[in-house]
Amino acid sequence: MKGTHGKLLEVDLTQGKTKDLPISEQTFRRYLGGRGLGARLLFDLLPAKTDPLSPENVLIFLTGPLTGSMVTGSSKFVVVTKSPLTHGWCDSYSSGRIAIELKKVGYDGIVIWGRSNHPCYLKIDDGGIEIREADGIWGKDSFETERMIKEIEKNPSAGVSSIGPAGENLCKFASINSDLYRQAGRGGVGAVMGSKRLKAIVVKGTKGMDLHDRKKLTELNRESYQRALKSQVAQARMKYGTPLTLNITYTGGILPTKNFQFGTWEKALEKIDSVGVYKSVKSHKSCISCFVHCSLITEASEGKYKGITVEGPEYETLGMFGSNLLIDSLPTIIQANVLCDKLGLDTISTGNVIGFIMECFERGLISANQTEGLELCFGDGEASLTAIELIANRKGFGDILAEGVRAAADHIGEDSDRFAMHVKGLEFPAYEPRGAFGSGLSFAVSPRGACHRRAWPPAKEILGGYPPYTVEGKAEMIKELYDENCVLHSLLVCDMPAKFIPLSLDDYSNYFHAVTGEWISKNDFLAIAGRIETLIRMFNLREGFTRKDDTLPYRTLFEPLPDGPAKGQFIGEENLNRMIDDYYACRGWDSAGVPTKSTLQKYELPNEELNG
Amino acid sequence: MKIIINIFGTEISLKQEISLELTSPTLKDVLMALKNQYKGQLERFIKDDLSPVEGSVILVNGRNIWSLDRFETKIHQGDELTFTVLVAGG
Repeated sequence: MKGTHGKLLEVDLTQGKTKDLPISEQTFRRYLGGRGLGARLLFDLLPAKTDPLSPENVLIFLTGPLTGSMVTGSSKFVVVTKSPLTHGWCDSYSSGRIAIELKKVGYDGIVIWGRSNHPCYLKIDDGGIEIREADGIWGKDSFETERMIKEIEKNPSAGVSSIGPAGENLCKFASINSDLYRQAGRGGVGAVMGSKRLKAIVVKGTKGMDLHDRKKLTELNRESYQRALKSQVAQARMKYGTPLTLNITYTGGILPTKNFQFGTWEKALEKIDSVGVYKSVKSHKSCISCFVHCSLITEASEGKYKGITVEGPEYETLGMFGSNLLIDSLPTIIQANVLCDKLGLDTISTGNVIGFIMECFERGLISANQTEGLELCFGDGEASLTAIELIANRKGFGDILAEGVRAAADHIGEDSDRFAMHVKGLEFPAYEPRGAFGSGLSFAVSPRGACHRRAWPPAKEILGGYPPYTVEGKAEMIKELYDENCVLHSLLVCDMPAKFIPLSLDDYSNYFHAVTGEWISKNDFLAIAGRIETLIRMFNLREGFTRKDDTLPYRTLFEPLPDGPAKGQFIGEENLNRMIDDYYACRGWDSAGVPTKSTLQKYELPNEELNG
Repeated sequence: MKIIINIFGTEISLKQEISLELTSPTLKDVLMALKNQYKGQLERFIKDDLSPVEGSVILVNGRNIWSLDRFETKIHQGDELTFTVLVAGG
C-alpha cells in the first residue's frame, strides 16, 4: 500500500540486535496504522500481566499511512505500550520531526524490546541502524539531550525523541519529548523508555515517500487551506491557540479549580486565559507539514521568570497548573511548563498530583514534617515548582508523588482517595465532568484512563445542543466522538484541524485515496474504529480490567459542584451506570463490558482472542 | 436590566456589562436590542434572522441555547450571554 513501507524496525536492546518486522497490506487495511496498528501489535506481542517496567514490556513507536505526506497535521506519531501508571493499554501522541524522518528512512515504526545493560540511544539513518552508548548523556535534561545528540551525530535536522531525568528515574507519568516542546505525555511512556535504559532515538532519512497522486494531494490541501482562511473557528484558533478553551470551560463551569473542588475561577480571566496568554505571545508556530499555526511561542513578561520562553502553555497546562492550583501568574506557569518539558514530565498528571497534595495539606492529612519541610498550599507557585523537581528526581516526598495520584492517595490514606482525581490510575485532564456528564462517561470508559484526546465532549455539551446534566444519548455521543478520533489517530493525523478547519471523515477518505491509492469510505473508517476499540477493550480485559474499573472518583460521583452554571450537579452512580450500560450496548459489548460473539464476528476478531 | 456579554472570536471581549430597557425579555428580545446597539461586534456571530452564523454558537449562562428554550429562553438580570466560535480541544 502506498503511503506505507510495510515494515517496522524491531529492536532487542538486551541482545543488541535489530531486524525488520513485516506488516501486511491486509493489516493496514484492517487497522490503518497508529492507534489501530498499535492495538493489533500490543495484543499479539505482549504476554498478559507483563510488568510494564520489565524488559519484557514492549515500547512501540508508530506512524500512520498519512504520516510524512503533505496532509495537514500529519507529523504525528503514537507511542503504544503497557502503562506503568494504569497497568493497562496506553497510547500517547505527539508531533515531531521523528515521525517524518521514520517514513523517510523506510520504516512505519519501531518496536523496542528488552533492556540495555548500559544507557544507550538508537540511531537510524540511511546508512543503517546503531545502538550507541549514551553514558555521557544519561542524566541530562531533554533539551540538552536533543542538543547533544544532534551535535554528536552532526545532524541538526534529525528527528530526536528523548527522555529527561523523570523517565530515567521511572517516574510513572514521565513523557517522551521531541523537538524540545512536544510531548508524548500521558501514561508514563517515558518511564517505559527509561526502564529500557534508552535515552533517545535519533532518525534521519532522505528517501521520498511513494504517494499515489501528489497532484490530487496538493489540490486537496489547497482546498483545505482555503476553507481554513474562511473559517473564523480556524482563524481564532491560529490567533489564540488552545488557551481560548479556558474561556469556554470557565464559561461552562467545567474549569478544574482547586483540585476539582470548583468549576470556575474568575481570577484566571485576562491573566492565564486567551487574553492573558496572548499578551505574552512572541510568535506563532506550526508543526511540520501543517499549515495551521496553532502553537504559540510565549515569553514570561515580568518577575523572577521574565524572559523565559516556551512553546505553549497549552490549555491543559494552564488548567492543571493554573486554576487547579489557584496560580494566576502566567510567568510561573510558563516556568512550570519549561521545567516539565526539560525534566520529561506530563504537565497534566504533574499538576493533578500537586493539586491533590495541596488539598491533603489543606485538610491536615499531611504536614511539612512528612515532606522534608516543603509545604504545598493552593496558590503557592514557588512550592509547586520545587515539587516538580522533587517528583522528576524522586527526591524525598517526590518519590511518592512520582508514583501518581492513585498511589499517593493509597500512601496517605484517610479517605484521600475520594479526591484523588483519576480513572484507572491516569490523572484527570483539565475538565470538570460534573458540569458535562458526557465527559464523565468519556473518562470512565477510556481504556487508557481519564483521557481528553479520545473525545472532546464540551463540543457537544457546552458548545453543542446536548443538555450537559443528563444521561440520555450520551453513550451514542461519546461513541461517535471516540470513533472519529480513533480514525484520525490511526491514520495518523492531528485531530485538531479536523475540528476547526473543519475536515470530515469524507475529506480524510479523499486524502487517504490520494496517498495510498485505496478507497475507504467514512462508514468503513468507522467500522475499523469499532474493531480497534473492541480489540483494545479485549487487551484490557486480558490484563484483568473489569467493569468496576470504568468508574469515576468519589468527588465526581457524589459531591455537588459548589459553583458556576453547574452548581449543585454531581453525576451519581445510577447515572454513570446507565451511561455505561448504554455505551457497552452501542459498542456491542455485554453488560460486563465483554465484546459479544456477534461483535467479534462483525469485526472479524476471532473468538479465541478473548481468552488470549 | 443589566446583563453580561462575552465575545470569543478573532477578537475577544470579556464581561461587558450592558444595560437594556427590557422587562422579562426572551433571548430573542435581547438579541434584537443588541443587534442594533452592537452590530459591529455581533454580526460575525448572528445573522439577520438572529440565528447563529455557521461555526458560532450562543450560550446563556454557559449553556448552548439549543439545550435551553432556544430564542424563547428567558433572560434575567445578571445573566451572561456568550457569543463564541466553536472552540475545539485543549
